[in-house]
Amino acid sequence: MTFLSTLKKRIIPKLLIRNKVYGKQTRPILVVTKNYKEVFEVGDPVSQAMIYEAQLADELFVLNIDSLPISQDLQLLHIIEKLASETFMPLAVGGGVSNLDDFALVLGKGADKVSINTAAVNDPSLISRAAERFGSQCVVVSIDHRFDVSQNRDMVFTHRASRNSNLDVVEWAKNAVVAGAGEILLSDADSDGFGKGLNLDLARAVTDVVDVPVIISGGCGTAQHFVEGFEIGKAEGIAAGTFFCFRDQNPMETRAHVRNAGIPIRIET
Amino acid sequence: MISLPVVGIVDYSSGNIRSVINAIESVGSKTKLVKAPDQLKDCSHLILPGVGAFGYCADQLRASGMLPALENWVFQESKPLLGICVGMQLMASFSEEQGIHEGLSWIGGSVKKLEKCLESNVRVPHVGWNDVVFKEDFGQIKSGEVIAFYFDHSFAYQNPELGKELAFCWHGCQFTAVIKRENIVAVQFHPEKSQSAGMKFLKSFLAL
Repeated sequence: MTFLSTLKKRIIPKLLIRNKVYGKQTRPILVVTKNYKEVFEVGDPVSQAMIYEAQLADELFVLNIDSLPISQDLQLLHIIEKLASETFMPLAVGGGVSNLDDFALVLGKGADKVSINTAAVNDPSLISRAAERFGSQCVVVSIDHRFDVSQNRDMVFTHRASRNSNLDVVEWAKNAVVAGAGEILLSDADSDGFGKGLNLDLARAVTDVVDVPVIISGGCGTAQHFVEGFEIGKAEGIAAGTFFCFRDQNPMETRAHVRNAGIPIRIET
Repeated sequence: MISLPVVGIVDYSSGNIRSVINAIESVGSKTKLVKAPDQLKDCSHLILPGVGAFGYCADQLRASGMLPALENWVFQESKPLLGICVGMQLMASFSEEQGIHEGLSWIGGSVKKLEKCLESNVRVPHVGWNDVVFKEDFGQIKSGEVIAFYFDHSFAYQNPELGKELAFCWHGCQFTAVIKRENIVAVQFHPEKSQSAGMKFLKSFLAL
């Protein structure tokens, strides 16, 4: 397939947010994870997002990892509102979204795209209903996958990658797109936080069969991993949490490396 | 007392209103949500946002009761109005998104799925930053400039019969990115999400 477009590839910092109890107060904080299990605190999501904006990130992906229904998580909704008013870049939000009212709520706070994961597996009609009401361009189906020894391949996992759905990753991605997903976020839970590289084979298997943009995530440890994700994985966007939070790497440096590899990427605004 | 210029943002339950307010305020203008015709009177500029399916947005706008006042604003009073994304597409005669839906016919032409004009396979929705080529001056932006803006759409404007194409973009095929018909400006990308490029575009509109 040839893809004739001047569209740029996207570098997307991922902001994982979890509520933390401080005495009698609960406060949403920015964290990164390893294997989706170990959690490391980073700090304040809004100030981190403002740094990313100054560093010309192409988009932000905010994920609520507490799996609290988003309509009940007033603190998180407040964070989304603040992110939308302090930064002027596209904002995708997911985690705890399970119905059309949740979509409307999150979009109303200033998000541009909403991602669904477990809720979409439980009821794929949510994808179609959301696409009909809000347009496919705002419906992202987020797929977490892990290696399943008994099947000798990666399978779709739900509930923050803790439960095997027994769905095949490529088949589920195809079905999600048929149902109306406008984008796929493909995350390798096994590689999460290790910095050893993206799962390029699976990414390519998905990008070869769906015609919507695919964002891949999980495992970025060097700028070269981004290049591989774009070139070999054929991703439109690559999302990373740990890579941008903890290393002496920022989206601007990564961008320069990707650009030097000859990949179309935004260089200035 | 002369009232300060205020940018009215048409609130018909179909837009990323919050982002538009934030962006306009960040370039130093006041904003006001406009839900009823009498709220137009303090405004100097209007913005018609739009996110969602075309049919839904068109129905919501018609049901809002705002249409006669908006048509009076653009055609009788000749005041500036900016349509963003579906707010742009609504100005066509019709759209093919989820069946045929009638538009406002302010600029004519139609809205079709990007794939329909493709010679090659590109991924749709068209999501991300893409180069916009300006064919005409628009405020601070000069003819010939190429600037990346953020897009997020599956359908695009074809043949803006009554307006002039100010800028175009390329995603499998060339499509219209900015249209101007006198005081009406219509834009497919999201200036409110396009960082400093978007601010420059919004300032250019506010200078009209």
